Amino acid sequence: MGSILVVAEIQKGKVREASYELVSFARKVGEATGREVKSLVLGQGVSGLAEELSKKGGGEVFAADDAALANYNAGGHFAAVKAAIDAAAPDLILLSNTPSGWDVAPRVAATLDAAFVSDCFDIEVDGGELVFLRRFFNGKLDARLRPAGLPIVATMQPGATAAFSAASEGKVTPLSITVGEGGTKFIEVKAASAKGVDLTKAEIIISGGRSLGGPEKFEEVIKPLADALGGAMGASRPVVDAGWLPHAHQVGSSGQVVSPKLYVACGISGAIQHLVGMKSSNFIIAINKDPDAPIFEVANLGVVGDLFEVVPKLTEAVKTAKG
Amino acid sequence: MKIMVCIKQVPHQDARLDVKGDGTWIQEEGIKFEINQYDQNALEAALQLKDASGGEVVVVSVGPERVTQSLRTALGMGADRAVHVKDPEADGSDPLGIAKILAAVAKAESPDLLFTGFMSDDGNIAAVGPMLAALLDVPHTTTAVSLKHENGSIQVERELEGGALEVVELKTPCLVTTQTGMNQVRYASLKGIMAAKKKTIDVKTVADLGLAGQVGAGAAKVKIEKLYLPAKGQGAEILSGSVDEVVGKLVGKIKELGLL
Ligand SMILES: Cc1cc2nc3c(=O)[nH]c(=O)nc-3n(C[C@@H](O)[C@H](O)[C@H](O)COP(=O)(O)OP(=O)(O)OC[C@H]3O[C@@H](n4cnc5c(N)ncnc54)[C@H](O)[C@@H]3O)c2cc1C
Ligand SMILES: Cc1cc2nc3c(=O)[nH]c(=O)nc-3n(C[C@H](O)[C@H](O)[C@H](O)COP(=O)(O)OP(=O)(O)OC[C@H]3O[C@@H](n4cnc5c(N)ncnc54)[C@H](O)[C@@H]3O)c2cc1C
Repeated sequence: MGSILVVAEIQKGKVREASYELVSFARKVGEATGREVKSLVLGQGVSGLAEELSKKGGGEVFAADDAALANYNAGGHFAAVKAAIDAAAPDLILLSNTPSGWDVAPRVAATLDAAFVSDCFDIEVDGGELVFLRRFFNGKLDARLRPAGLPIVATMQPGATAAFSAASEGKVTPLSITVGEGGTKFIEVKAASAKGVDLTKAEIIISGGRSLGGPEKFEEVIKPLADALGGAMGASRPVVDAGWLPHAHQVGSSGQVVSPKLYVACGISGAIQHLVGMKSSNFIIAINKDPDAPIFEVANLGVVGDLFEVVPKLTEAVKTAKG
Repeated sequence: MKIMVCIKQVPHQDARLDVKGDGTWIQEEGIKFEINQYDQNALEAALQLKDASGGEVVVVSVGPERVTQSLRTALGMGADRAVHVKDPEADGSDPLGIAKILAAVAKAESPDLLFTGFMSDDGNIAAVGPMLAALLDVPHTTTAVSLKHENGSIQVERELEGGALEVVELKTPCLVTTQTGMNQVRYASLKGIMAAKKKTIDVKTVADLGLAGQVGAGAAKVKIEKLYLPAKGQGAEILSGSVDEVVGKLVGKIKELGLL
């Protein structure tokens, strides 16, 4: 039996929460199947973080500490993961489904000729084999996936399980890497622009999705309700992609993460990238014509119906209630 | 510059999805299909490069007969040629199987730049692009939201979390996966559609590509055991009644929350 390799991620000088979630998954599978958990920490000046991870569930932690890893770059990251695989001999390699994880993980899998599963929210052990659970069709269907053999490269959805937090024995092993020339070169990171509304400060957000069909419908249907309640307008990604509203209105993993007192989702299906941006709202109302829309899973109150009928009536009723 | 764009035909965004009898995929009969959103942005990016500095755009798709229509649309939008890998032997491939097929096509075409979408709207695996780059041993980047081409190098802004961007540079040949919203996608004009009638769609089988027995369901390293509707969990309390009744209850709740 091989080991399990957790590829940890450093963010703002810390081991990312999602990496400790990977440790939780690794420990669960490790205990059920007798696999040892090992980890990789990569970056520049990361030996202290490797030490920390080794004492918090990471097991033997390989530390690739190299100037070539100072900023994320596909070539350097790939070289470090490959070196850790050679050192740790894993048959299960876990990464987080984050911009670095989704960039490098499929490349690692293809190079190893390994089975690949992505954005999973759970791992089950069934008859000694591993079964991965994930969503298909933008959250509309769940799937059980069974790799036909080993090794397996898997990316896990951030937030899918609790982060591992107990103390444990471990050790740090330095890992040297060679990064070839000619790969993808890092130039710079541009911070998100802070122009426009600040949704994180809004107490009430009324959001609309692709089904609104155009910018004029936001003006006609969504804005009046937002105005009546003194709230702000939010949107799913397709709305911003199409240029109906500026990016500052986008709620989700590539937009704003909000937790208002009230979030009303109108005609938004509830893809995971949207849910991570709003599911910690205090109270969620969802209006969708599809009773199976995944948005209803995180909502407190749901209305199965046509938003073009429900929202204007709601706006009128709110105005009447205010007198 | 020669550009290869990989396009997948997927169920239309508004199609009703029902799981088929054996639970392994959706029922495809009677639903509408379209070019994957992410791939539409990839094709647009390729056509913009061609508009700016010339070259050739080749679109490639793996899939059954229905895919012809998407390839015709791509040709109508301005792609120069199409390659259609149409073979039941390719059915049920996992992303690595699809990447192997596309790699075989790419080896014959030797493009300077390859595009795939970041992910497909059906499988959502987001794997084919980086896998294809690995098989071709070319550098890659993912989730591109803008792209510039200057003397043999490609500069890409890739999307990170929360709206941050990372600027990267790649030397051709290389592969870029595109994120939605990267550009506004053109429509196929009437003139384009007429011109497309004279363009060729090169149909190939898995055996033509030297991959007999290496792709398809049998070779897939990951099996879809079962697709099912997500468990409802705690779920929302679904309000019943007429629209007026429902709206009344919503207003009641908003008052209760102290927001009215
Ligand atoms: C009946 C049936 C059974 C299936 N069984 C399995 C199974 O057992 N295991 C499994 O893993 N999958 C299975 N699939 C789904 C499988 O075929 C996926 O389409 C494949 O795994 C690629 O994943 P993806 O589309 O999510 O790719 P992604 O990696 O999300 O796609 C990214 C990009 O790659 C390109 N691309 C992807 N597919 C194509 C294509 N066909 N032609 C051209 N470019 C393409 C596009 O540019 C796309 O934007 C099955 C599908 C069907 C119809
Ligand atoms: C890396 C990455 C980052 C992403 N980041 C984000 C992000 O930050 N934010 C985000 O939102 N998405 C993000 N996405 C996109 C996400 O995957 C989904 O595609 C998107 O959230 C879908 O938006 P939607 O719900 O508006 O559209 P759809 O999924 O198309 O849903 C439309 C919904 O409207 C309903 N509907 C249609 N007509 C009506 C009507 N008349 N009345 C009521 N309901 C109706 C339908 O039943 C359906 O549920 C990201 C994707 C990726 C890959």
